[in-house]
Amino acid sequence: MWSRREDERLLTGGGRYVADLVVPGCLDAVFVRSGVAHGVLSAVDCSEARRVAGVVGAWSAADFPSGLHVPYTPSAGLSAEEAVAGREWPALVKERVRYPGEAVAVVVGEDRYRAEDGAAEVAFQVGPLPAVVTPRAAADDSVRLFDGLSNVAFQGAAGEPIEESVWRRAAVVVEAEYRQQLLMPTPMECRTILAVPGGDRLTVWSGHQAPHRLRGQLAALLGWPVDRIRVVAPDTGGAFGSKSAIFPEYVVVVFLAVLLGRPVRWIEDRMESMLTATRGRGQDQRVRLAADADGQLLAYELTIDADVGAYPHLGAGLPMQTARMATGPYRTPRVYATVRSVLTNTMATYPYRGAGRPEATIALERSMDALARRLRIDPAELRRRNLLPPESFPYRTPTGRVYDSGDYGAALDLALETLDYAGWRAEQARRRGDPSALPLGIGLSCYVERSGGEPGGLHEFAGVEAREDGTVIARCGSASSGQGHETTFSALVAEELGVDQVRVELVEGDTDELPDGVGSFASRSAQVAGAALRQACELLVQEARARAAGLWGLPVAEVAWSGGAVSPARGGAAMDLGELVKATGPLRVEDRFESDMGFPFGAHAAVAEVDPELGTVRVLRLVAVDDCGVVLNPMIVKGQAFGSAVQGLGQALYEGIPFDDDGVPRLANGLLDYLVPTAAEIPPITVKDTCTPSPGTPLGAKGAGESGCIGTPAAIVNAVADALRLADPGVLRMPLTPDVVWRAAR
Amino acid sequence: MKITLTVNDEVHPLEVEPRRVLADVLREDCRLTGTHLGCEHGVCGACTVLVDGRAVRSCLMLAVQCDGRSVRTVEGLRGPGGEPHPLQRAFSAEHALQCGFCTPGFLMVAAGALAADPTIGEDPDRVRALVESNICRCTGYEPIRRAIVRGSCPGSVA
Repeated sequence: MWSRREDERLLTGGGRYVADLVVPGCLDAVFVRSGVAHGVLSAVDCSEARRVAGVVGAWSAADFPSGLHVPYTPSAGLSAEEAVAGREWPALVKERVRYPGEAVAVVVGEDRYRAEDGAAEVAFQVGPLPAVVTPRAAADDSVRLFDGLSNVAFQGAAGEPIEESVWRRAAVVVEAEYRQQLLMPTPMECRTILAVPGGDRLTVWSGHQAPHRLRGQLAALLGWPVDRIRVVAPDTGGAFGSKSAIFPEYVVVVFLAVLLGRPVRWIEDRMESMLTATRGRGQDQRVRLAADADGQLLAYELTIDADVGAYPHLGAGLPMQTARMATGPYRTPRVYATVRSVLTNTMATYPYRGAGRPEATIALERSMDALARRLRIDPAELRRRNLLPPESFPYRTPTGRVYDSGDYGAALDLALETLDYAGWRAEQARRRGDPSALPLGIGLSCYVERSGGEPGGLHEFAGVEAREDGTVIARCGSASSGQGHETTFSALVAEELGVDQVRVELVEGDTDELPDGVGSFASRSAQVAGAALRQACELLVQEARARAAGLWGLPVAEVAWSGGAVSPARGGAAMDLGELVKATGPLRVEDRFESDMGFPFGAHAAVAEVDPELGTVRVLRLVAVDDCGVVLNPMIVKGQAFGSAVQGLGQALYEGIPFDDDGVPRLANGLLDYLVPTAAEIPPITVKDTCTPSPGTPLGAKGAGESGCIGTPAAIVNAVADALRLADPGVLRMPLTPDVVWRAAR
Repeated sequence: MKITLTVNDEVHPLEVEPRRVLADVLREDCRLTGTHLGCEHGVCGACTVLVDGRAVRSCLMLAVQCDGRSVRTVEGLRGPGGEPHPLQRAFSAEHALQCGFCTPGFLMVAAGALAADPTIGEDPDRVRALVESNICRCTGYEPIRRAIVRGSCPGSVA
């Protein structure tokens, strides 16, 4: 009756998101925020706020211990000691405001209305300084965010520098500049945290992707052992990468809950998140792509100036993901990518669905279409000549990745066939001969991405427990924020054990349930946690057979396992798991599994019609062909592919953050200014898949769910460039608003 | 201020501050947390409920404006015997939800329209207009559109 186990509660009002939890005596925290992007804070006065009825307390940085700051995130190389050295991120602003919306005070009240009453009474002044909101403007250090330190917080490279002679000798070199605009992940539920002290422990409820990581960070912050903190991620209203970090507000809420000995929560509202939620993307890129006269790629160089926001703690190293994936799906012999991560007066950038891979794909694929135009080779044919063939795997790229498996050409062929590529080319030719017809373009985008995580974080923890009543509890370190883990993982465990699905329950997102865990990000849950659960099931079966052997006085080899029951191999009555537990005591196994990286890939194709007079773009067709290896639940994966394609459409055409000269985003009208796609913007989209199992994981599964953000934007931009027959692809700066397109068409 | 809300056919005598919005009163005073707040400025529609049968953004309406009126939330969508509303079944069948946060709003928009005109599922333009009224960040909307058609026209598969 219900397609997913999550569905009944979520469809009937029975979901439990953090804001829904009822905790007696819970206080609400409200932050007082700077309206200035960059400036010097003086004279924060909370005294009036403290007199407001229903206000329990109000604090500025001066009232806090001086060491209360936001830790940096070393996971996956997102940040590093050298990037944050000398650059403290205080939980509340001490002297310098570095991004608009940065919190200068916090007010705690008996409910949110009272806390907001108090927040309105906090007085403070910020003396404005010049603001810098693009990496290019910030990189010259004429305005420094941290006195005495460069705004360049991190530099890195992937591959080897390419000699000038390669460019000189090439038949064609495409040069272009692209801007990967800042985006807001915009999950429908903003950030949430609820901290509840009890006894000598603290329970923290948060819509979060990595509960064990948050537990460790909070323990370090409080100087407590980790077992005094329990982090629970209940139902979570979307994340898209943005809910795996620790934020200044979380530090403050947890500190206050402990200080007051009372439950405190912060439920972020949308207008706050417009200024202070993490941003994704944010790169200024320069490329050089060289080919011979036949279109064989010779060299590719990608130079990245990355906007990492005001503090390097969350994502200064993230652009290295783009550098390492710069090679893309082609056998280009020379590839070199460099990264300069630059601080700007913006909330920090952090992974957003795709997280470094869209930036790599978009730069390369836009350049491929430009190259095709220069060489007068069909863009599909140009790609075919350069795609890595299926026999090349494992393939070590010049930028240091080892691709596991793929049939890139098959994905491209399926995309072209599904689109009716030849038919649309004919229509394009017809329109080019018809002065009354609107120009039409076809855009392609082939991609390869990385899933699972980075070395040091490619593992996950899982456990399986059989109980006397015949039920099975599966536990893992993942945390679902809409991906349907209860459905997929329960089915997986049931299949591995040969028991009915109704006997299996998944428990995840609770640090008290499993000693350690990594979480759900980097498209890792099916690939890594799924494999960890499978391995735990194998261990459980081994243990069950060993116990039965002891019970029956048989060698283990003579105990068979089938359908969730042990039986003597030479014949005799089977004993179900539940009976075995009754006879031999509690049966619970836990294990750690380590995966290799996976490299999902695909090909996206778009057809777009452009009105050069109005600058409008109408996407007529979008085809997404993705290959994420073995799929555990086709409907769920397809749903994620479709949804992410729509987010990719958002990046291409609608989503962006315009800034005023003072560095403050023009987002005063919230979701009327930041344009996430609505149903009115959705073109006909066809999602298909090919299946090339990953040899690096026992399930053969690669990561799913980020494909559309990676593959779709370049397909759409390329379609517009094709319609307008643009010589310089860089003039199309995303999002392709009517203004951008109208100017490009001139 | 004393008001009376009839929520999902149950009478709630309440003492509320005039400034409290309907969504907060439903969530905190009536303990009906199925109504979610996604933007608090009337754009996303996650907080949509029916007031006297009409879909409203409960973040933009004061609870005192609803004194004496009838409110229906997602918790009140099931039938008298507890059976799911056809839209609830259809949303599940079409995978029209992922994280589920926006879902109650879409359900209430569709349920209100369907109650007002049982034939709405037969008109693709009107169904599309319903889906266009709210924001979902997970599904890409097409499954929601199919679910509304399916839930509005028993026996049909869009």
